[in-house]
Amino acid sequence: MPALSGFLWLISYWLIGEAVIHFTALPISSGVIGMLLLCATLAVRGRVPSSIAAAAQPLIGLLAMLIMPGVVGVFFIAGELAGQWTAILIALILGTLLSVMTTLWLLKRLIGQSSDP
Amino acid sequence: MTPNTLLDVLTATPLFAVGLTLSAYLAGSRLFQRLKRPSWLPAILIASLLLAGALALLGLPYTTYQQDASWLTVLLGPATVALGMPLYQQLPRIAELWRPLTICLPVAASLAAFYALAIAWLLGSSDTILASIAAKSVTAPIAIGITEQLGGTAALLLGALLVTGVITIPFVSLAARLLHINDERLIGFALGLNGHAIGTVRAFEISPTAGAFASLGMSLTGIFTAVLLPLAWRLISMGS
Repeated sequence: MPALSGFLWLISYWLIGEAVIHFTALPISSGVIGMLLLCATLAVRGRVPSSIAAAAQPLIGLLAMLIMPGVVGVFFIAGELAGQWTAILIALILGTLLSVMTTLWLLKRLIGQSSDP
Repeated sequence: MTPNTLLDVLTATPLFAVGLTLSAYLAGSRLFQRLKRPSWLPAILIASLLLAGALALLGLPYTTYQQDASWLTVLLGPATVALGMPLYQQLPRIAELWRPLTICLPVAASLAAFYALAIAWLLGSSDTILASIAAKSVTAPIAIGITEQLGGTAALLLGALLVTGVITIPFVSLAARLLHINDERLIGFALGLNGHAIGTVRAFEISPTAGAFASLGMSLTGIFTAVLLPLAWRLISMGS
C-alpha cells in the first residue's frame, strides 16, 4: 500500500504544521507549513519516494473538486452582498488587468531582452 | 410529503453530499470536454453551477450541504501539503532564474493583492470584503488558509478566485501583445502568478515550458502571499 503510507506522510506533515502554528502563533495555514516542510524534506533526500508520489499526484489532480463545495457557497451569499457586487467586480477586473501588465513589464525588463527572438 | 421524507432519509448521511459533489464534478468535466475546453468557461465553473442548481432544485440548505461535504473538504489539508512535491521538482528551474525571479516575484505578488484592495477600498468596500478578496491571485487551498487568518469569507474568496483566474487569461494575451512579449516562459509565469490554477491550466495548453513556469509562478505567489499577507494585515490593522 504505497499510496496509503504516502497519504500518512502528508497527513503527518499537516499535523506538524498545526503543532508549529500552536507553538509559534504564526499567522500561516498549516497546509503551507506542511508544504514547505515536505519540499525541504524532499530536497534533503534528493528524490521523491514513490509512496509520496502515489499519494500526492492523485490528490493534486482532485484539488478542483475539493474546493467545489466552497465555490458553490458564492451563489448562496449573493443576497447578503447585494449592492457591493459592482465594487468587488471592478476591483477584481481592474486590479487583475493592472497587475498582469506590471508583472509582464517587470519580467520583460528583467529577463526579456536576453531571450526575445 | 413523500419526496421530502425520502430527501430527509438520503441526507441523513454525508454520503449524499459527497455523491452530489462527485456527480457535479464529473458532469462538469464531461461538459467542458464536450464544449471543446473554452478558456472563458473553466470546468470548475460549469461544475459549480450544476451543483448550485442541484442544491436549489432539491431544496437542500447550503449549510447542511457544506457540513456533509466536509468529509471531502478535509482532504484540502493533505492536498495542500502535496503541492510540496511539484515545488521540489521545480527547484532546478527556480535556481536557473533565481535572480530576476526574486526581484520580480515579491513586487508582482504584492501588487496583485494591492491593486484590487486599493480599488475596492476606494469604492468603499467593507473590511470583510477586503479580507475576502486579498488572496485573489493565490491558488485555492493556500488562499482559503490565508482568508481564514484575515477573517474573510471563504465563499466570496472562491468567487473572487474564479473571476480573477478566468479574466487573467485574456488579459495576459492582451498585455503580451502590447508589450511585444512572445517568450513562453514569461507568459507562463505571468499566467500562474496572477491567475493561479486556472491560469496554469491555460499555460499548459500553450506549451509544457509555459506550464512549468506557470506552476512555478503559482507556487511562489502562494508561498510569498501566505507568509507575508497575514503579517502585513496584522500590522496595518494594528496601525489603524
